[in-house]
Amino acid sequence: MDVAEKLVPVVCPWCSVGCRFYAVSVNGYIRRIEFDYDHPTVNRGKLCPKGVASYQFINSSKRLKKPLKRVGEKGEGKFEEISWSEAYRIIAEKIKEIKETYGPEAIAFLGSEKITFEENYLVHKLSKAIGTNHLDFPGRYCQYSNSPARTAVFGSAAATNPFEDVAKAELIVIWGHNPAETAPVFFGQYIEKAVLDNGAQMVVIDPRETRGHKYASIHLKPYPGTDLAIALAMLNVVISEELYDRDFVQERTVGFEELKEAVKEYTPEWAEKISGVPAEEVRKVARLFATKRTALLVNEGLNQHVNGFEFALALANLIAITGNIGKEGVWSGVFPGAQCGFCAAMSGIAPNKLPTGKLVTDEAARAELERLWGFKIPDWVGLDLTSMIREMGNKIKMMYIVGGNIAKSAPNSRWVREQLKKLDFLVVQDIFLTETAKYADIVLPAAAWFEKTGTAISAERRVQRSYKAANPPGEAKPDWLILVELAKELGLGEYFKYEHPDEILREINSVIPMFKGATPEYLAEHPEGCFFPCTEPGEGTKVLFKKGFKTADGKAHLQPVKWREPPEMPDEEYPLWLTNFRQVGHWHTGTMSFESPSLKKRWPEEYVMINPKDAEKYGIKSGDLVKVETRRGSVLVRAEVTEHVREGVIAMPNHWNINVLTLEVTHEKTKMAELKAVAARVRKVEE
Amino acid sequence: MSKKIFLDYKRCIGCKACEVACEMTHGEARIRVFEFPDLFTVPFNCRHCEKAPCMNVCPTGALFRDEDGAVAFDPLKCIGCLMCAVACPFGVPKLDEENKIMDKCDLCADRRAEGLLPACVSACPTEALKFGEINEILWNREGKIVANLKGSAEKGEGEKAYIVL
Repeated sequence: MDVAEKLVPVVCPWCSVGCRFYAVSVNGYIRRIEFDYDHPTVNRGKLCPKGVASYQFINSSKRLKKPLKRVGEKGEGKFEEISWSEAYRIIAEKIKEIKETYGPEAIAFLGSEKITFEENYLVHKLSKAIGTNHLDFPGRYCQYSNSPARTAVFGSAAATNPFEDVAKAELIVIWGHNPAETAPVFFGQYIEKAVLDNGAQMVVIDPRETRGHKYASIHLKPYPGTDLAIALAMLNVVISEELYDRDFVQERTVGFEELKEAVKEYTPEWAEKISGVPAEEVRKVARLFATKRTALLVNEGLNQHVNGFEFALALANLIAITGNIGKEGVWSGVFPGAQCGFCAAMSGIAPNKLPTGKLVTDEAARAELERLWGFKIPDWVGLDLTSMIREMGNKIKMMYIVGGNIAKSAPNSRWVREQLKKLDFLVVQDIFLTETAKYADIVLPAAAWFEKTGTAISAERRVQRSYKAANPPGEAKPDWLILVELAKELGLGEYFKYEHPDEILREINSVIPMFKGATPEYLAEHPEGCFFPCTEPGEGTKVLFKKGFKTADGKAHLQPVKWREPPEMPDEEYPLWLTNFRQVGHWHTGTMSFESPSLKKRWPEEYVMINPKDAEKYGIKSGDLVKVETRRGSVLVRAEVTEHVREGVIAMPNHWNINVLTLEVTHEKTKMAELKAVAARVRKVEE
Repeated sequence: MSKKIFLDYKRCIGCKACEVACEMTHGEARIRVFEFPDLFTVPFNCRHCEKAPCMNVCPTGALFRDEDGAVAFDPLKCIGCLMCAVACPFGVPKLDEENKIMDKCDLCADRRAEGLLPACVSACPTEALKFGEINEILWNREGKIVANLKGSAEKGEGEKAYIVL
């Protein structure tokens, strides 16, 4: 039999590096993948283990194939199959009922960093059409410290330079980031090239020794949640030793004097007491940072702390006063953990934003969007994700979750699960019956990545198109189609007249000015995509802030910043710091990677890393079953006694059950919770 | 001279992309990443020895050297006698228990026939795995060392010269 193999160009569905490859498709099934060396792609044909195994999960027998209606208790996971028309009818009726009884502000929506740009845009549009601004996405626990901080200082959070500038840097500072495991292609193609081929120096700041650590000449190991102290001390050193870029500070920043005043107490000796890092080491790193062209790579180690916002502000200040921005050979910015983090953020998935990037409270911006969309937009600021969870059963009666697994990813997950039970009605649209979906009243089967056409935006602001390579299983449908059909059922069909994702992207081109040039036609012809802001086809922006910043006066606004303690510190009862990390073979809550046999086989289970000195104190050996406890809960895991974590700190991968232990206290402004530094204790469990 | 897979261990970060790529191609991974406690990682596959003992001891001629110099095997001739496994100093040939025949790296014969690189080399995100002839690889390294020594000498920093392996 002659079977035609089709090479379909796709973007990898895991992290945000934006690797491209070909899915070799035969009659709607992906037979294998092929590496794409021909195009000027970011990965140069290379892929990490997740990328190579990336189509395994779509063939899992556990995929959702029909809409489901809950028959058992919430959380029990008992469902019966229903038809699409019945599912739409039930959801539409419930939305109408809740709107009539409590008003549209009782309904909340979650977008996702796993669905396409077009689909996030539709989630946003549908929530506004229904009349609610309670809109967020699980990325709230991802970049929401760094992003608002960089916006406050530079007016925009996005990465300033393309990845190729990392390879040109003289100093690579990896702070609370583990790119060798979370983004191996980025590490191999850019960081390693800088260090091994171009002679760049590398500094790692992390309580753990991560995979990339062997290339570093300096490794600082602060206690989790105390990095802010080091950042403040670095500011102190750079200012007091007058190592800052005088011209840059004078011409392109405001607020230097206030910053100088704010950090004058924060000496490296002060930081040493808090973080446990020798003062001289902090001085050394500060001097290097100020005198070299620096690529600063930060991620969850910065973000997932309640004091992460202050920490990110301090780093943004540091970047500004050392002039490591707006030129070649430097790099800084947000680095989303998922391939579509930017898709959700740039389509305005936030309680206070419009897709145009303006605020919902901005009357003129609202009026403009109302003209484009044709319906009234609510003017109040909605709730963020943690507040939504807190208000479940109270202000929030119904939730519509697209591709999020908050029952596992949100902090203090036992509490989250109790809260989910309080909802009157929950709809979850996903590809698997996730922990969250088990609490749903209606579960809608969605098409996975590779089973639909759509746009992804990578960490370096690269906008790329990925195409349909496989057919969804059973009756599963692409998320955009589900949203369009539901809108029709709700009587909102006139605003959702889309037959193909291209039509949605064309609407985005006209609604979001930054993406005017990212047309379906241009992206089809240019697989390497374009860098946003791309105002005309072919006119992307590779390096940001070459001249001005995106603030009102075009200058960087230095922010005075003060030391802030983590919300929970070790004490006699819970004497250890617990932190989390990611493994190269798994991704987020494992919904997809646990269903990839090649990955599950190599990275089978969770464990806790304990320093040999702590292990000796508690009588623990490698392989022992131990109980890790915090004030929220406990988990049983195997111990791995290793020098790779500093004394006083224990670390667990974040793909399994660590969020039973974490803390839901949030930062008052950014609403970021504490996922990475909580007080814990550990003891051996007799077998 | 035949082409082989060479390892630049300095570049390996132990991500196991090679293992997974091999597994996706052949059903079982024929390359394995060894991890050591000091973050040192080494991916290891069949060396396709110039004087391959496995080939010498194979009683049925199932193991043979193909046009590119890889020690490939013909599954139809293999009787699963395990002689190759006994003879291999690296413990490379494995028994496919279901089919009772041996399984080993053939440098992705199917891919090479299409002009493609072996799957593990294609995937390796850090380019720690290289496919080429020994002399080409060695000259490349030597060239780098010379360039580095020369560069340091020109800057008068002879003592700072380092050897790129």
